[in-house]
Amino acid sequence: MADIVLSPPLVSGHKSLVEVTDDVCRPMERRPGLVWWAAFAVAFSMLLLGMAAISYEIATGIGTWGLNTTVGWAFDITNFVFWIGIGHAGTLISAILFLFRQRWRTGVNRAAEAMTLFAVMCAGIFPLIHMGRPWFGYWIFPYPNFRGSLWINFRSPLAWDAFAISTYFIISATFWFVGLIPDLATVRDRAQPGLRKKIFTILSLGWDGAYTTWNRYEMVYLLLAGLATPLVVSVHTIVSWDFATSVIPGWHATIFPPYFVAGAIFSGMAMVLTLMIIARKVMGLEAYINLRHLDVMSKLIITTGSIVGLAYLTEFFTAQYGGNRYEQFVFLNRAGGPFAWAYWTMVSCNVITPQLLWFRKIRHNWTLVFIITIFVNIGMWFERFVIIVTSLHRDYLPASWASYRPTSIEIATLIGSFGLFFTAFLVFCRVLPVIAMAEIKGVLKHGANHEEAHR
Amino acid sequence: MMPEKHWRSLEEWQAISEPDGAEFAESPIGIAGGPDRRGFLKAAGFSFGAAMLAGCGRTAQKIEPNLAQPEGFIPGRPVYFASTCSGCTAACGTLVKVRDGRPIKLEGNPDHPVSRGGLCAVGQASILGLYDSQRVAQPMLNGKPASWTQADAFVQVRLDEVRKNGGAVRLLTGTVHSPTEATWIRRFLDSFRNARHIEYDALSSSAILDAHTQTHSARILPRYRFDKADVIVAIDADFLGTWISPVEFARGYAESRDPNGARYAWHVQVEPRMSLSGTKADRRVVLGPGEIAAFVNDLSDAVRTGGSGRSEVAEIAKRLREARGRGLVVCGSQDVAVQALVTRMNEALGNYGSTLETDRASRQRRGNDGELGGLLAELRDGRVDVLIVAGANPAFELPGGAAVAKAKLLVVHAERLDETAATAQVVSAASHSLESWSDAEPVEGTASIVQPCIRPLFQTRPWVETLAAWTGKPDTALALIRDEWQKTIFPKAKASVAFEQFWEKILRDGFAQYEPAARAKAATAAAREAEPRRTPPAPEGFELVLYAKTALLEGRHAYNPWLQEVPDPVTKVAWDNYACLAPGAAAKLAVATGDVVRIECGGQSVELPALVQPGQHDGTVAIALGYGNRLSARFAKAGPEWIEARPTLNEKGLVGGNAAPLLTFEHGSLTYSRSGVKLAKTGRSVALACTQEHHTLTVPERLKPAAGATRPIVQETTLVQIRAPGVGHSKEKSRPELWPPDHPYPVHHWAMVVDLNACTGCAACVVACQAENNIPVVGKDEMRRKREMHWMRIDRYYSGAPENPRVAHQPMFCQQCDHAPCETVCPVLATSHSEEGLNQQTYNRCVGTRYCANNCPYKVRRFNWFQYSREDRVANLALNPDVTVRSRGVMEKCTFCVQRIQEAKIESKRADRPLRDGDIQTACQQTCPAKAIVFGDLDDPRSEASRLMASGRRYRVLEEINVRPAVGYLKIVRPDAPADGEKENG
Repeated sequence: MADIVLSPPLVSGHKSLVEVTDDVCRPMERRPGLVWWAAFAVAFSMLLLGMAAISYEIATGIGTWGLNTTVGWAFDITNFVFWIGIGHAGTLISAILFLFRQRWRTGVNRAAEAMTLFAVMCAGIFPLIHMGRPWFGYWIFPYPNFRGSLWINFRSPLAWDAFAISTYFIISATFWFVGLIPDLATVRDRAQPGLRKKIFTILSLGWDGAYTTWNRYEMVYLLLAGLATPLVVSVHTIVSWDFATSVIPGWHATIFPPYFVAGAIFSGMAMVLTLMIIARKVMGLEAYINLRHLDVMSKLIITTGSIVGLAYLTEFFTAQYGGNRYEQFVFLNRAGGPFAWAYWTMVSCNVITPQLLWFRKIRHNWTLVFIITIFVNIGMWFERFVIIVTSLHRDYLPASWASYRPTSIEIATLIGSFGLFFTAFLVFCRVLPVIAMAEIKGVLKHGANHEEAHR
Repeated sequence: MMPEKHWRSLEEWQAISEPDGAEFAESPIGIAGGPDRRGFLKAAGFSFGAAMLAGCGRTAQKIEPNLAQPEGFIPGRPVYFASTCSGCTAACGTLVKVRDGRPIKLEGNPDHPVSRGGLCAVGQASILGLYDSQRVAQPMLNGKPASWTQADAFVQVRLDEVRKNGGAVRLLTGTVHSPTEATWIRRFLDSFRNARHIEYDALSSSAILDAHTQTHSARILPRYRFDKADVIVAIDADFLGTWISPVEFARGYAESRDPNGARYAWHVQVEPRMSLSGTKADRRVVLGPGEIAAFVNDLSDAVRTGGSGRSEVAEIAKRLREARGRGLVVCGSQDVAVQALVTRMNEALGNYGSTLETDRASRQRRGNDGELGGLLAELRDGRVDVLIVAGANPAFELPGGAAVAKAKLLVVHAERLDETAATAQVVSAASHSLESWSDAEPVEGTASIVQPCIRPLFQTRPWVETLAAWTGKPDTALALIRDEWQKTIFPKAKASVAFEQFWEKILRDGFAQYEPAARAKAATAAAREAEPRRTPPAPEGFELVLYAKTALLEGRHAYNPWLQEVPDPVTKVAWDNYACLAPGAAAKLAVATGDVVRIECGGQSVELPALVQPGQHDGTVAIALGYGNRLSARFAKAGPEWIEARPTLNEKGLVGGNAAPLLTFEHGSLTYSRSGVKLAKTGRSVALACTQEHHTLTVPERLKPAAGATRPIVQETTLVQIRAPGVGHSKEKSRPELWPPDHPYPVHHWAMVVDLNACTGCAACVVACQAENNIPVVGKDEMRRKREMHWMRIDRYYSGAPENPRVAHQPMFCQQCDHAPCETVCPVLATSHSEEGLNQQTYNRCVGTRYCANNCPYKVRRFNWFQYSREDRVANLALNPDVTVRSRGVMEKCTFCVQRIQEAKIESKRADRPLRDGDIQTACQQTCPAKAIVFGDLDDPRSEASRLMASGRRYRVLEEINVRPAVGYLKIVRPDAPADGEKENG
């Protein structure tokens, strides 16, 4: 196929198989550098700050957040949906793109999947700590009990959420681990005898690299990819039902599932790019994450960003066309009310900024793309904030209208979630191969003729 | 390892060899050389148990079960005692709910002839006064606790000295309408040569009494019968809020304004600031305090001549003339000349005898400002040897009240160490009215009893006992009161039974009625004597209006957290007083709500945050009295403590600022307004705890949606519409439904109907609900953060021009929806639907996701953001044992008083009779002075609730989202045809 020939190679430079292994394993096998330590110190401090804030909140009460009778959710659920959204890119890249045979994914899938897991971990904290009594958080799972027997409310979107997120986490973790096995074996084989070797021996589950092993591995991977694919759509669909099944104007909208899924992929891709642009530089992986990736992922960002923009317009249209005075007001209030600054931040970051990526020059500029992805990350956080807070703060009865202002504890908790995310990611970069060596070797120019014929 | 056994006979051998223990053989695992396992465990268990018991260190105490219970006492079952409220001088009848020997709730006594079943917020909250751990627990001498013997001896020695040397003894009290107290005050003072009793009211109506001295030759306060009035002209008198007897008046007012009744009273309110009565008026005339006298003069002229001055005045006069004998002009002015004009006007209109009763005059305010002024002068000159103050706080409430400290001996009978008691040499520890005997005669011919419902919690004494002791004839309050009733009231009541039976009936009913002595009829309306003084408008500056808030009144309840926390019915601000300014005035001064302003006049000044109040006169600033009280210092720790918490108290360590020093004595009357007030910005700003941010049903103009800016949440109608044929009843619109009904409600379907036309917004229900349902106090900061815990709130909406808006009050609480949005979203089934239509909240299942609250269109769910309940062994005695005290992290809300529903159901089951309509009264319904709330069963077509649900005035809030609320609202009735485009707002 002509376009394949014309498109730049997936791995730049003429890397041999050994070079790939060396490049990927090197960061794991040497002592961490100053940059890593500095980054880790910052990230871990953020994590500690967040842990202090969460401990204080659990010890004292949800009152330490800026919520009130009218605005019952704000930073907590905003952060939750934001992180779940971030967690979307990984599975999309690893499962859907795998099934669509998008081979460029091999350069970024490992890191993206890891990011997914960490993001889901960050997200998972919030439903728990936002509860008034988090020590009873396990009550939202149906388990056999002696309370008569008391079950959960299967009609509640929050119960669906619990299933959706835990399923997503388990499948993503399994998928990620299965993908890791051949690489873990490589690391094992390179390791000197000692603790490191023992650990990797256990983790690689006795991988022997035999033909039959590879055969079964590929099959398992394919099946898992098939299993994970619906989850990409389902998780954020179900998260959107938290809002869509309610009666609150601004939440009660049938457009929410596709709108949320697109937004999630949008934010996830942005976060993958943010992280990978740093990682390739810091870890010297420029050859494996190159302009080709940048280009493809930028295009995905334009696409999903435009879908999100269309959703914003559709919401307005539906509200105006529907003739419901409460809903009409909610949208006018979003654009012109006390939280208009948040709304316009969201629109400019999510709809306007990504349009710059139409230009090839911008799309191929690492710095500019990095800046745009930061904007998208900010914009997508504000999208959730806008949806949650502006819908709640002025709903039906004007007498109960209220405002919202985060407390220091909430801000510290948000910072802490970033701390957890980056700490986990930094540790991941140190202890596991950030690029799927086994997979990337399959897209090398090595044996290019064979490659072309195969295609 | 069985030891070998020897046998002596075959029988014995058989017994030995029988496998008795073999079946449950000891485990082969034994402890070698020691006891076997079971033995070891026994020994271990014994020694462990012994060690435990020894460690407990509690010696055995012998208790005996009470096999023979006191008669009629069933643990867990409440007993009600009829008593009288002492929250203010209105003396409403109460029923005290006593559970297991302690009073836990006050309810209005429906049979009481004055209050007729209502009880205001102050009355509801007064139970906290009983369980107040910071009361004066025993007498005090020079600031040190003493015994009663010591205190009495100390006082007796001083009094005997004065008896001998003829020194001046002055007794200063609030209004005394207790017959027994009055008798004993007389006896006590008779023992001195130079003694006088001075009564005063911090919220004085002295000018009305003085005017009647002129016109009726008797210093009386007529009893106002709003229930008989067809035209009500209230001039600067907040009769629904704080004026004389609001509960009684609100009930009468509601009766006169029943849209389904034969007559519907027309109400015009003339006032400088937006009062609670003003919010209900059909027409509201905004006049500055300096214009009131001229208005009364014009009105009086117009009534007399039928001529016309101002067109507005002419119309009011016309209406009054048309309703001869059915009109009522009331006036809160403290100008005797103005009051005399009002009296003559009422006389000329033939209103005396119908809407104003003088033969059964009110005794609810008897204060004499002239005498009070005299006493203060005496005090300043140091001419008072002994000043005894009882049931009043002159040092706080009066301008120059600090002069009480100049008396040579200051004796104060008080429940708390207020400003006056704190300076006294002797403090006589007063009992709360729930722990002492007393009586009251709020209206001539109606004597009401005050019964103790618990033994005094501290070493306190009722006032009448103290009086008797200091007179030298000590006796118990019960004996004194019985004696008084036997001697004076029993003969007047002309009962056909012996006194013992009469007394028992009094205790059961709570009151006695008798024919009062006939009073001389009024002198015919003589020609006008004097033009009322027309205060020339001050050349510059603002006019100051000092008023009382419905909850705190003159400040005697400043200790009461419920009353501090209930939002003001008009401003919706809790925990503060403030300077109310008209929107125009605020704009001119460039002052916004919360900006601290300095109010200065006559050398006195006070700094308070401003509050922009629609409907206020442009040239006035209005400040509530009763704040800045010493007793409010106790709220330093009110509310949760956390890093961003802000204190409830201001920088002075008090709640609000005291405006009483700005009061003046003008022409002998305590005057609540003055001119020439300077206002200046201080540049500081504070956050007021206002529970309502947006004040209209119309969304901001800038964000006006195409489908309509005004929301149909408060609906209005007119008399013409109601009386039009064919609109008397509304049928429940049956919506087409795809699904069969979720809830069939086979036995009961509880519902409530709220009459918005009757509701005055007084917030009695809010406090009643708080008392009934153990609702915690959260403090100013939490209120400011919109985290009030009241299960019931009263939304207040303005409409029309901000200079003189129309006002609607809407009680809002859980609507117990049939299709409840809260129920579907709870992940753990903590909120569920009962088969009687209640949305039940299961506290111990709640994990606190707050999804239910978010999804509630009415925003009536309340979340425990912190652990609000506190350990306070005295205060917590007021908790209702039938209602769970909620812990932090759980959601709560109105339950329709489910504990009352259950109690009534159990009772009906026990008595084997069906539940009757009216058996269940929710706390809000019970206390409502206007009887605006009706609770009942929709499955019973004859219930009052069913009947009202079918009323043409009934609508439901947010009906369009089909959550099917079980609460119906009856539309507000506006007298005039609404202008276009205003049909659906309030």
